[in-house]
Amino acid sequence: MSATNQNGTRTSTGGVRRASALGPGLAVLCAVLALVGFLSVTMGSRSIGLSEVLHALFSFDSDGPISSTVTLEMRVPRTLLGILVGAALGVAGAILQGVTRNPLADAGILGINSGAAAFVVFAITVLGVRGVGVYVWFAFAGAIAALALVYAIASLGREGATPVKLALAGAAVTAGLASVTSGIVMTNVDALDELRFWQVGSLAGRYTPILTGVAPFLLIGLAASLGFGRAINGLALGEDVARGLGQNVTRTRAAAFAVVAILAGAATAACGPIVFVGLVVPHLARFICGPDYRWILPYSMLLAPIVLLLADVLGRVAAAPDEVQVGVILGLIGAPAFIAIVRYGRLSEV
Amino acid sequence: MHSWRPVLAVAALSAVLGGLTGCGNDTGNGDTAAAATASGPWSFNDGSGKVVKADKTPTRIIAHAGEAAALMSFGIKPVGVYADESVKTDPNLKSLDLTGIEILGEEWGKIDVEKAAALRPDLIVGDWWPAEKAHSGMEEGVDEKSKKLAELAPIVGVTQGKSIVALAEGYEDLAESLGADVASPQIAANKKRFEDAVTAFKAATSAKPDLTVAAMSPSTEKVYVANPEYAPELLDLQTWGLKVINPASPDPAFPYWENLSWENADKYQPDLILWDGRSFTPTANAEWSTKQPTWSKIKAAKVGATVSWPAFWLHTYGDFATELDKLTQAVKAADPNVGN
Repeated sequence: MSATNQNGTRTSTGGVRRASALGPGLAVLCAVLALVGFLSVTMGSRSIGLSEVLHALFSFDSDGPISSTVTLEMRVPRTLLGILVGAALGVAGAILQGVTRNPLADAGILGINSGAAAFVVFAITVLGVRGVGVYVWFAFAGAIAALALVYAIASLGREGATPVKLALAGAAVTAGLASVTSGIVMTNVDALDELRFWQVGSLAGRYTPILTGVAPFLLIGLAASLGFGRAINGLALGEDVARGLGQNVTRTRAAAFAVVAILAGAATAACGPIVFVGLVVPHLARFICGPDYRWILPYSMLLAPIVLLLADVLGRVAAAPDEVQVGVILGLIGAPAFIAIVRYGRLSEV
Repeated sequence: MHSWRPVLAVAALSAVLGGLTGCGNDTGNGDTAAAATASGPWSFNDGSGKVVKADKTPTRIIAHAGEAAALMSFGIKPVGVYADESVKTDPNLKSLDLTGIEILGEEWGKIDVEKAAALRPDLIVGDWWPAEKAHSGMEEGVDEKSKKLAELAPIVGVTQGKSIVALAEGYEDLAESLGADVASPQIAANKKRFEDAVTAFKAATSAKPDLTVAAMSPSTEKVYVANPEYAPELLDLQTWGLKVINPASPDPAFPYWENLSWENADKYQPDLILWDGRSFTPTANAEWSTKQPTWSKIKAAKVGATVSWPAFWLHTYGDFATELDKLTQAVKAADPNVGN
């Protein structure tokens, strides 16, 4: 059953969602994101008056008082990184769920986190690398290598990288890499220390160099991802139907995976494996938009950074003058949120 | 995963090496005590408060890292040692000659008990941790198998509490009870060196009554400020006149530190930073200044007033004397008008 609305947007099952509602919805989300971004710059574990924040933003004098340093050199890059990383994880999760038709798909299930962790540990133990700024690149390489490996394994055989084979290959590669990682970590306390902090997932301590390092990848990936809506809608009908509609399924899947590798790889490299955003937000987007990926993708892209930044702000103000990593907060609120979606939502419609 | 262990790690070690209570048995510095008879009977007041007795004076000893170093400084050589890290990097063991000593573990919580049993030990020596109510190697979170070490022989240790001096004295008493000649010239020389170091340190601090210091450990996520209450060597430094800042709100779950987010790195403004020795390097200050915009908002960091702090590992007069001399130099060089 399909329906065409006044803008020509086709939705493939019942419940027509009007672009006339969804379009303005995106504008509202943009406004909410801007507001949350503003909160993220004005609130934190250090209490800085609004006037001081505004002064810092307009005077742009980072050598000035510490309130300016904190605002300009810490909170602004942190907020921008949160927006980019959140958007990347949200949209990467949405693409993966759509392409693999697996409602539990996110970057983690396809080996990205374990690949990044394995390379980080390798960098620490074998190459003696220290500091987030350096091993961000190892994490990136590891994420891409793991995803490529998963895709290559799943592609073996006549029918190519089917969703089931992808999930199995992802699980196998994850298990293999995780055991290597823990094997090394158990014998090397230094590696454990470094990995422990990277593995929680955090926006703290990552400033302009990391932001400018990963931003180009994330921006290109985000732009490219928006082009996949129609193709994923086709895949969602099943591969045979998609082929029947003239799609090159193999090429679509490979391209989608390449984009996901860049998005999730760069995001994970910058902030460590951040959980739940890539898993839960696409479900939230689907709940609002229905099954049309041309809407799900941009909605995921805006909802995810809102969720990520809110969680980060919460972690920063809740424990001041200390901070709680955003990965911990997301785990705490993500689990009940996911249960609620499973309970009331529409997981089956992936 | 021993989630408590690593860096905060720092903390872990502090937990393991950290607090002393001065319940060490006091024998008046032990200098005058007669050398114990080699045969026994033998007894020792353990840090837990129990009196451990044996018919014969133990001779085959297995000891934890720093405790082994302490005994060896009095000429008591253990047959086996278990450490929390490689014996090549352990600050207590790295400069000692360990030939003939069986290495039974080089990772926290993991002791090769089979190998230990083959050594037929008659005494196990590990610090007593009053906060954890356990000896080194037997704490919560270690491999269950490791705990069987305590079944091989009685286990004793000096309690970790309020002073490294009390800890060193406790091990002097233990060594003496085990037959060491604590009046030997080399031991006396170490002690003399330590006493001279304390005198010099006191002179340096009294010359700068307004100098304040903070013991800190920067990390990627946060800045940790040590709580002297749980760092015996910092309590000693306070006793000897150094104003080590007591952080206002240590982490209730892990009171060894107050955790500051990087946004709040400048909360304390000491004149001199005692930098966690486990991460201190000559270039560390410059590195953290470029990595973390707020690190140089600590005025002492900005002017480079930092010195390595021997965090949570000292057990002997000799090591303490060496570290104290370095601190004395830093105090002499420090400008008491840097911080607030």
